[in-house]
Amino acid sequence: MGVVVQSFIEGLTTALQPMNLLWVLIGGFLGTVVGMLPGLGPATAVAVLIPITFGMDPTSALVLMAAIYYGAMYGGSRSSILLNTPGDGSAIAATFDGYPMAQKGQAGQALTISAIASLIGGTVAIIGFILLAKPLASFALNFGPAEYFLLLVFTLSAIVSLSRGNMVKGFISMSVGLLLSTVGIDLQTGVHRFTFDIPQLSEGIDFLVVIIGIYAVGEVLYNLIGIDQIKKEKNKVGKKGISREQWNQSKWPILRQSPIGFLIGVLPGAGGSIAAMLSYTTEQQVSKHPEKFGKGAIEGLAAPESSNNAASVGSFIPLLTMGIPGSGTTAVILGALIMLGLQPGPLLFENNPETVWTLVNSMFIGNLFLVIINILIIGLLVKILDTPPKILYPMILVLAFIGTYTLSYSIIDFYILVIFGLIGVMMKLLNFPIAPLILAVIVGSDMEQNFRKSIVSYDNIFNVLFASPITITLLIMTILSICYPFIVGWIQKRKA
Amino acid sequence: MARLITPVFFLGVGIVYLILTSDLTRSRVGDPNGPLYFPLLIGAVLVLFSIIYFVQEWRQRDEKFEELKVLFTGRAPFLIVSTLVLIFVYTSLFERIGFLISTIIFLTGLLFVVNGRKPWIKNILIAVIFSFISWYSFSELLNVSLP
Repeated sequence: MGVVVQSFIEGLTTALQPMNLLWVLIGGFLGTVVGMLPGLGPATAVAVLIPITFGMDPTSALVLMAAIYYGAMYGGSRSSILLNTPGDGSAIAATFDGYPMAQKGQAGQALTISAIASLIGGTVAIIGFILLAKPLASFALNFGPAEYFLLLVFTLSAIVSLSRGNMVKGFISMSVGLLLSTVGIDLQTGVHRFTFDIPQLSEGIDFLVVIIGIYAVGEVLYNLIGIDQIKKEKNKVGKKGISREQWNQSKWPILRQSPIGFLIGVLPGAGGSIAAMLSYTTEQQVSKHPEKFGKGAIEGLAAPESSNNAASVGSFIPLLTMGIPGSGTTAVILGALIMLGLQPGPLLFENNPETVWTLVNSMFIGNLFLVIINILIIGLLVKILDTPPKILYPMILVLAFIGTYTLSYSIIDFYILVIFGLIGVMMKLLNFPIAPLILAVIVGSDMEQNFRKSIVSYDNIFNVLFASPITITLLIMTILSICYPFIVGWIQKRKA
Repeated sequence: MARLITPVFFLGVGIVYLILTSDLTRSRVGDPNGPLYFPLLIGAVLVLFSIIYFVQEWRQRDEKFEELKVLFTGRAPFLIVSTLVLIFVYTSLFERIGFLISTIIFLTGLLFVVNGRKPWIKNILIAVIFSFISWYSFSELLNVSLP
């Protein structure tokens, strides 16, 4: 425990360095601005701002990206509440009661409770992180290739079955991502695969170009198509202070849902969307006035806002302890970290403990800062961003090009970027979930290496599946995650 | 029937991928088929789910298919085509005339397309200021070299 306390204090010192504080402020602010844009969520915010991290040391880069992430979560609540337009899955639940509150003239109060709920959710989750991360990292040290392969299989199947829309499309999206990851020279044998004699392809398709293409260019193009339909928001934020009664209605839902959201975030694949939805429905079920939900009940906003923020902190646990991203946004962060030469995984806690503890402390500082931004100057931000989308979307497009150019200093990547942008638009229109593709592109090569290593040690795939109690557990979890939507459907049918 | 195009497309991708996989050069080190196993697995998964997807869509073949309709409504076709043309122009100018000027041209064009011709002073001002700020912050503050 003493070592942990010492690392914690070291992390706090690093987090409080003026440069890192500045990155938290900048990241939180930029994340809020991008997250506020209708239709854009944290994954896009991180993807588009990746170039800022080039040349930074990995710890500061991680601090910055985390700040962008939760900044975008805070910002996203605003477009959910004021415009009824969520930026991503985790902000959907905030529209259920947030928007009705805004319609009743309580937009300011809705924004305040959402900020407070997010702060409490984030803080509870940071405490959870401190307690859980180290033991989990030590546990993950026991993982061999077979365990890692199955962990990745489980993560992919979980993200497919839990992502919005249809599971079959999710598996197609995942397969395409894995397929892209096999392009290039095979790491073990040097065989050229699917390169069609194009020299640029021999190093493989850069996953950051895929990420920026789909999340930045794709999302922006998708939103540009519908730009004329975006409602102009009402500028009246109204009273910001919440009454004692409103606080009493919200405090228990917030405190109940924060730890639940955190634990869901820790599960690979689940993330903020599931946490927010689950919190909303459970609060509705335990409420004495379930009929008020959906009509502007403050607890119906507070519960999902606390749990999705807790989940976003929780999702850093599988990312940092095992190198497994649990959501689209953490997948993007993983991609950027690998590029900066930091390989998250169990060894990170042994080799770079200060990185982890700096992140933890900066998350806490960042959450405090964002609450201040979101409560004190929200009215001002709303005014500054009065007609933002038509001007901001083109700017984001420019940032996407800068980011891509700086990856390899090659114009060829611009074409790849646009191709993936168009793929992203088509996927959105045809309701294909995007996160499975992104995750698969990033972990694909790792998955293949572990797969082949374990085949060598265990002869055939069946022996790999039953190699150890851990692999068997992961296999069962994979099967359960695939069956989960069917079980839920069956229960709903029985209820009806 | 338009809804059957996507599943057929993915089925095609899966089959072509499997054929390409079987044509891969065999490895001279270790297991000669080593580089093939994982692609075969992915190809099989893609083909399997494309078939399920096809069956799902086939069952709804008589229902209206409107997912792509937005692409052809209102200003959407104009916005898409002009954005792509601008991107193409931007790409061909980028290394020739440098980041700053090409970005000003690209962003001005894009703002005219998206934001309309009326606020033209605002469009140009925003394009110039934003391009300059991003050039300054990336190449001067963050030491990223831009052409």
